[in-house]
Amino acid sequence: MKKIVIHEEYCIGCRLCEIQCLVKHSSSGKIIKAFREEFPRPVSRVHVEEEGYLSFALQCRHCEDATCIENCLTGAMHRDEKSGAVICDETKCVGCWMCIMSCPFGVIQREKKERKIASKCDLCGNDGEPACVTNCPNEALSYEET
Amino acid sequence: MKKLETYYFIIGYSVASWWCIQSIRENDPVGFIQVVSDEKTCYSRPLITYGLGRTVDSIAYQGKIEESNKVQVSYESRVERLDARKKMAFLADGTEISFEKALIASGGVPIIPEITGREKPGIFTFTRQKDMENIASFMYKKPAKNIVILGGGFIGLKTCEAMMNMNKNITLVELAPRLLQNMLDEEGSYYLEKSLLRSGVHIIKEDTIVSFEEEKGNLSDVLLKSGRRIPADLAVIAIGVRPHVDWLRSSGIEINRGIVVDEFQESSCPDIYAAGDVAETRHLLTGERSVVAIWPEAVNQGRVAGWNMSGRVVSYPGSLPMNAVEIGEKALVSAGIVNPTDDNCEIIIKKDRENYKKLVIKDDCIIGVIFIGDIEKSGIYINLMRQKLPVQAFYEKLLEPNFGLINLPTQYRKHFVKGAGIEV
Repeated sequence: MKKIVIHEEYCIGCRLCEIQCLVKHSSSGKIIKAFREEFPRPVSRVHVEEEGYLSFALQCRHCEDATCIENCLTGAMHRDEKSGAVICDETKCVGCWMCIMSCPFGVIQREKKERKIASKCDLCGNDGEPACVTNCPNEALSYEET
Repeated sequence: MKKLETYYFIIGYSVASWWCIQSIRENDPVGFIQVVSDEKTCYSRPLITYGLGRTVDSIAYQGKIEESNKVQVSYESRVERLDARKKMAFLADGTEISFEKALIASGGVPIIPEITGREKPGIFTFTRQKDMENIASFMYKKPAKNIVILGGGFIGLKTCEAMMNMNKNITLVELAPRLLQNMLDEEGSYYLEKSLLRSGVHIIKEDTIVSFEEEKGNLSDVLLKSGRRIPADLAVIAIGVRPHVDWLRSSGIEINRGIVVDEFQESSCPDIYAAGDVAETRHLLTGERSVVAIWPEAVNQGRVAGWNMSGRVVSYPGSLPMNAVEIGEKALVSAGIVNPTDDNCEIIIKKDRENYKKLVIKDDCIIGVIFIGDIEKSGIYINLMRQKLPVQAFYEKLLEPNFGLINLPTQYRKHFVKGAGIEV
């Protein structure tokens, strides 16, 4: 399947990926509206980790053995048959946080929409290249067949 | 009398069985699988609290397994007796089933203490779909305002969460001096109780129900040991579950608290396996025998059992107690040994008004995790615990607000993962 590959040697820690991810997952799709007018504010599903000179952007790794899928009580967390991505069906999610507890990367978060749901990278809905990859100014993320 | 023959025979049809069947199918696409379940459907047990509070429309478990001519499920059917030596099962309706390999995943049954009047209407346990339906129909007929829940453990709190969403006046009665005493430490319980009180739940500790009292045939009060009397229209007994093994006493299978299994999930009788809340496995960290009745281990045990049943030898690393819950707007995650009795453990705590994080470290490895409030990164620590990775190299960074994969040794980051494209 196609996955987001991290190239930490190119990451400059600018966090543009976080901003673009948030915008992509907002209801308006507009940067200023997303940050100033949408409440609760949409959350970014990618996070830059930084330690001294090292940094990288981390999002769901779409594991082959995905513990979050096994531990989901409802079947909300599932593998998309076509793309192979690990996707949370927000209509089925009850916010039990079993997936958060199971994720070895710590990349699933709580999000409060109409109700509480687990929020994670969805590869931008297989809508071509994910926003974090497209908008990375230094090619520190790439979208590749693995 | 009906006689049936099957290669695989599976008793109980909840999460452990579901994943066992998945594993069997990976190795053996054709062997016939006969499942017997005393339920009406295959559903997700933990979802009953959400089902009652109407958070979900359906409590059905994900992706129904094709009930093809290779997997047959008999619902509302009960195994009365098992002869492990002859590999025969006898159902309540008289059917005899002979099998080659069996999985026992009969789950747990609620523990019901001797309390005067416990057979009265309006008093429930809450572990099955039927319980959910009974409580819902009771509430439909008679709007129950005052709810008393006996038990401040995990099931008690999940019940409490369901009732909170229904705008009820809830009293939680717990015999211990604090709530969730297995999952949390003293301070953690304090955070939880504070949040519950803020949501309007009444908490009574170090007390228990001695009698259910009625008025005109309806439950009216519960009488506590202390002499206190609490109005109650509906009561839920939620003090815990025990493995459902009574029906196996004459089977020849070794039973301690649960069905004693080895690292392949096989019982003392060859070709008979057990998984989930009925199985007694070894603790991942201590090696002690215990029944760890939680969803993630039911999945793991079911998978391991299925692989071994179908010829792929896989050993089970051991059970790690863990759970997550959000109650009264307070999310919490707990895993491993959180209340160590061993003096050689080191404890690291970071806390503020709303958040509490605790790690228990022994011999340079994490053995216990409590996260309250901000729980997002808890999975990283739980995984380090599972992998038994020494923490010395990044000890100073543990529980720092920005702690993440970046703090782990590069070797580990790059190689602990399975599958291409997921290394960090």
